[in-house]
Amino acid sequence: MTLQEFYARVGGDYNATLSRLPSEALVKKFILKYPGDPSFAQLKDALAAQDWELAFRASHTLKGVAQNLGMDRLYKAAAALCDAVRGPKPLEDESLWPPVLAAHEEVLAAIREL
Amino acid sequence: MFHFGWGICFFGGVENAGAGYARFLQSFWQSLSFCTVFFYNFARICCFWHLCYIIIVNVWENVLFRAFSPVLCIGKGTMSEKEKILIADDSAMNRAILTEMLGDGYEILEAENGCQAVSIMQTNVDIDLLLDIMMPEMDGFDVLAMMNKYHWIDDIPVIMISAENASSYVERAYDLGATDYISRPFDMAVVRRRVINTLMLYAKQKRLVRLVAEQVYEKEKSSSTMINILSHIVEFRNGESGLHVLHIQTATDILLRTLVRKNDKYNLNAADISLISTASALHDIGKINIPASILNKPGKLTKEEFDTMKTHTTTGAEILDKLPFQQESPLVKTAYAICRWHHERWDGRGYPDGLKGEDIPIAAQVVAMADVYDALTSERCYKKAFGHDKAMEMILNGECGQFNPLLLECLTDAGARLHAELSLASSGGSRRNYLAEAQHISEVLLHEKSLPGQDHILRTLSVLRTKANFFAENARCVQFDYNEATGLVRFSPWAVEHMQVPEELHLPDEADQSSFAIADIDRIRTALRATTVDRPHAELSMLLPIDGELRWHHVSLCALWSDEIPPLYIGAVGQANPV
Repeated sequence: MTLQEFYARVGGDYNATLSRLPSEALVKKFILKYPGDPSFAQLKDALAAQDWELAFRASHTLKGVAQNLGMDRLYKAAAALCDAVRGPKPLEDESLWPPVLAAHEEVLAAIREL
Repeated sequence: MFHFGWGICFFGGVENAGAGYARFLQSFWQSLSFCTVFFYNFARICCFWHLCYIIIVNVWENVLFRAFSPVLCIGKGTMSEKEKILIADDSAMNRAILTEMLGDGYEILEAENGCQAVSIMQTNVDIDLLLDIMMPEMDGFDVLAMMNKYHWIDDIPVIMISAENASSYVERAYDLGATDYISRPFDMAVVRRRVINTLMLYAKQKRLVRLVAEQVYEKEKSSSTMINILSHIVEFRNGESGLHVLHIQTATDILLRTLVRKNDKYNLNAADISLISTASALHDIGKINIPASILNKPGKLTKEEFDTMKTHTTTGAEILDKLPFQQESPLVKTAYAICRWHHERWDGRGYPDGLKGEDIPIAAQVVAMADVYDALTSERCYKKAFGHDKAMEMILNGECGQFNPLLLECLTDAGARLHAELSLASSGGSRRNYLAEAQHISEVLLHEKSLPGQDHILRTLSVLRTKANFFAENARCVQFDYNEATGLVRFSPWAVEHMQVPEELHLPDEADQSSFAIADIDRIRTALRATTVDRPHAELSMLLPIDGELRWHHVSLCALWSDEIPPLYIGAVGQANPV
């Protein structure tokens, strides 16, 4: 799978990302680092433990990572979740979590094929 | 030592068998334990001094050097040319991306949270910060607040890299002193450009600050030197070494710093402390009017003599009051207060005005205490020097008059430091050295435009003099030192003993009074005239009379030149070694 296909699959803008991180090798290097990033796992645990402070920070970090790597679908989902717990306040709208989970799984699957 | 012990044991053992064996064992253990104790203590002493050396080197490197390098205007920056950048972000991914974007031109340090960032900045002041807001333990705003508290914000540019773009966050960051805000997602070109621009801006500012600091320092040095010379002139008469003025300044400075750390009710800043320390050099100028017979009397003063002595306070104040200029300058006003009231006491029993308590200006109070401490711990014509502990005891017990309780606390706190720094200033040499130095400085003042830096030069001079004297005294050959301005030749003690020359010889008129042949003196003179600034050395062979018999000697000469443009020939040194 090429990088362009990867971005098409995860719902991101390949060209925009490439303009920000000029080297394809660089982009690929960081995308391959994503599975090792702890922010998703942190977010999951925080929500399970109902630790809203940690959930806010984790979702915020996840949002930033996704944004930097140009993974827009994940970014939007994480951003929505982040705003929902900003305060920090308890998550009322449970439906915000599944899109994040789905986008994350999607990205992992796509990375495996890179 | 060990073998000696063994030897004794064996000797004892061989002589008498049976009972000797017991004695042998006893001596053996004794010598063994003696040796062990001896080497153990030797090792401890070595370790102790080694530790001292390590501590001193570390203190110099990390504290004093950093503290003084802005003033000395030297820095370590030239060692590694790469700028240091600290990236503070809890996401490793973000840190990696930024590191990659910045490229190889920088040395990157990383922090996962605010606490790590602060601790890195504590040891690295020459750094630039890329700061995230959302971090555990201590967030970006707290880091900025900390930087404001320690005033690092003045030297360290901060670029915010947070994803939070809400205007409230941005405003708050700017209010706390952030230089710039890079929004996400990161664009490599933008990040690089912003960092470079910020660094250049701060570099220019730092350079300007350094230039200004240099100028201010030079100006302070000059005026400080002048004041010290003038006060040395006064001290000359009463036979005190110029150390007294130096001690008072040092002690006043230490006490004031301790005071402001304890209590800010006197509202003194660094400039005030510097002013008071400088003005303290003038505290005894009134003594110029006191007859030398009273000043130098080796015993207790009679009542009339003491009354005369007391007038030095009012005389000094009058001198300052009658200055036809600079009446309003803070230095003159402070010096007036110090001169007039540095013998007042807290309970009102001092002189000349009997001021009490807080009516006495703090400057005068502090100088009073410094004066008493120095009087007790120095040798005077009417008393020997007391030790530091005895002096402290006497002051704290009120034997020298009553002082402000707050100042007594400061004295106790600063006691050790006072003792250390004042004895450092004393270790330079004998009384004669300081008179000579005061003379030297006055001469330099008259003949040159630039004023030498005071304390540092004085101390360096006395150290150099001690070294030179030591080597001259221990030399086992003929050494001489010629001063062109005075025409005097001084010979080393060995030369005086073995070559029948006087300790000092005035050329050319006394040339025939030594066993140096006139022709030889002329040869030396010619050789020296032939030298230049770049090639100051000359070699000669000549016959010199040592212990009555003539012997061939190899004479090495070195001409001394001044630093002016064009350089002037100021003298020469020489050494004669037998071939």
